[in-house]
Amino acid sequence: MSQVGRHRFARLGPNLVLIGAAIFFIAPILSTARQALQKVPMPLFTWGTLFDKWSLAGLTAVFDEDLFWPALWLTLKLAIATVLITLTLLVPTALYVHLRLPRARPLVEFLTVLPYVVPPIALAAGVAAFYRANARWLFSSQWALVPFYVIMALPFTYRSIDAGLNAIDVRTLVDASRNLGAGWLTTLRRVLLPNLASSILSASFLTTTVVLGEFTIAVTLNKQTFPVFSFQYFGRNPQGGIALALLTLLGTTALLAVLSLLTRTKAQRAARQKIRMAAAPLPIP
Amino acid sequence: MTVTDIATTIDGDRAASAVPVARRPALRPWAGLLPFGAFLFLFLLLPTYGIVEKAFTGDGSPETFFQTFQDERKAFVGSVKVSLVTAALGVVFGTAIAYAAATATRPRWLRSVVSAFSGVAANMGGVVLAFLFFTLLGRQGLGTKIVREGLGYDLYKTDWFDITSFWGWVTVYMYFQIPLMVLITLPAVDGLRPAWREASANLGGTTWTYWRRVGLPVLAPSMLGGFLLMFANAFSAYATVYALNNQANVVPVKISFGLSGDVGVRSSTPYALATWMIIVIALAMGGYLLLRKRAERWHAS
Repeated sequence: MSQVGRHRFARLGPNLVLIGAAIFFIAPILSTARQALQKVPMPLFTWGTLFDKWSLAGLTAVFDEDLFWPALWLTLKLAIATVLITLTLLVPTALYVHLRLPRARPLVEFLTVLPYVVPPIALAAGVAAFYRANARWLFSSQWALVPFYVIMALPFTYRSIDAGLNAIDVRTLVDASRNLGAGWLTTLRRVLLPNLASSILSASFLTTTVVLGEFTIAVTLNKQTFPVFSFQYFGRNPQGGIALALLTLLGTTALLAVLSLLTRTKAQRAARQKIRMAAAPLPIP
Repeated sequence: MTVTDIATTIDGDRAASAVPVARRPALRPWAGLLPFGAFLFLFLLLPTYGIVEKAFTGDGSPETFFQTFQDERKAFVGSVKVSLVTAALGVVFGTAIAYAAATATRPRWLRSVVSAFSGVAANMGGVVLAFLFFTLLGRQGLGTKIVREGLGYDLYKTDWFDITSFWGWVTVYMYFQIPLMVLITLPAVDGLRPAWREASANLGGTTWTYWRRVGLPVLAPSMLGGFLLMFANAFSAYATVYALNNQANVVPVKISFGLSGDVGVRSSTPYALATWMIIVIALAMGGYLLLRKRAERWHAS
């Protein structure tokens, strides 16, 4: 009896924890949605007005702001540049470490977590300290943020690509491709990149979310990126700023949902392929 | 993973010793890391060098470096306090949620939702997060109103809570600290085998004995490591606290004051503060990396 009783109530504590967590994490999103989508003055957000004046006007108002589109465009450009540089730097490096220099792996892994030690505000101070004096052209260019965003995303991006390489047998694939007469470029393009697609994709999306949210360095170096614009817009128009925060949240979530869908179908396709290959009779040469 | 590592290392060694003549110079393979190393040198090491150099030259010196710590003691206390409190609360809630999610069987999607959401929320923060909490717990926030009307408790008539002051920051920080802790402890919680619990029960142990003698010791390295990582995370956070209160007396906000040419301080002050910040975070992260090695021993493979 006590055994049964204990079983019945054993999940009580954990379930309460999960429900409490759900409330804590969902409540701010709900309150943001309400304040962003209801055209009601701030003090009148009560139970009585719960169903009044819902509209998308708050969301769309921001599109008429003069500074909105340039800021969004700048951030998108920065995101694309950051992704491209991240990939050209990290994919060859990770491959090289896997194939030629496995003993360097602990060192490279250590180097990729170093950016954690220099927080964004310190990195911003460092950029101001070193590059303002020694390379003004870089400091004042709108692209100045890109290399530092690559650095900031490094702990996530390297780990993602490294995990992708761990999941496949790189050496065998490369040897097979080389034995069949493929050059390095063909091997990279037709063997390695397709196999690494999902980890490259997730590294790209992680980088994008870092760039979309980065405020500290941009505001310190006085660049009008999207997060900097959001902050200033909130100062001018709090309700509009809240609507923009909701849009940003939705946009980021959509981006990550697309990522998980893409990688999942990729993985499923790969799994199916594997099964098909295992089931197919061996081809006779 | 380690097995294949060892295998490739052995393979590599054999390949190297199979070439008896004309051994390649040992340094040559390292040249492949040059682009990566150069990038880190240019955009991480040089800025860091710039910080330290500025902290000790011009009107800065070893004396002013320590003087800055004295002068801004309140900011350091503020930063350390918010980091310690959010890291400690993060350990408690993060571990509890990870355990609850890992052991739940009923909604089958629960676990993947928890870990996917944690991945998103752990990287949240900054301006957007501050705005989310303004709408909930600000002076006109909906949560504030619900508490006032439902429980008759006016948060803003108390002297401890305000979204722009200490407990407000703590509440907001928990939104990324807890998910970070969940991500860190989930693998460790998965490593707790049900067989251990049964063994403990068969030997006459109660739930309490199980946790004290088996569960917590196994989880301890992850919990402590998570604590250090969250400490570093909160200590370096700038955008969130700045968006909540641009006068907040914490180290990152003081650095940004100094950088924007706040009058009345030495021009080396923000760089001295940044150097101190790097030292504190390096200590916490070093501890985390050491503990992670220990924590991985029990991870389910």
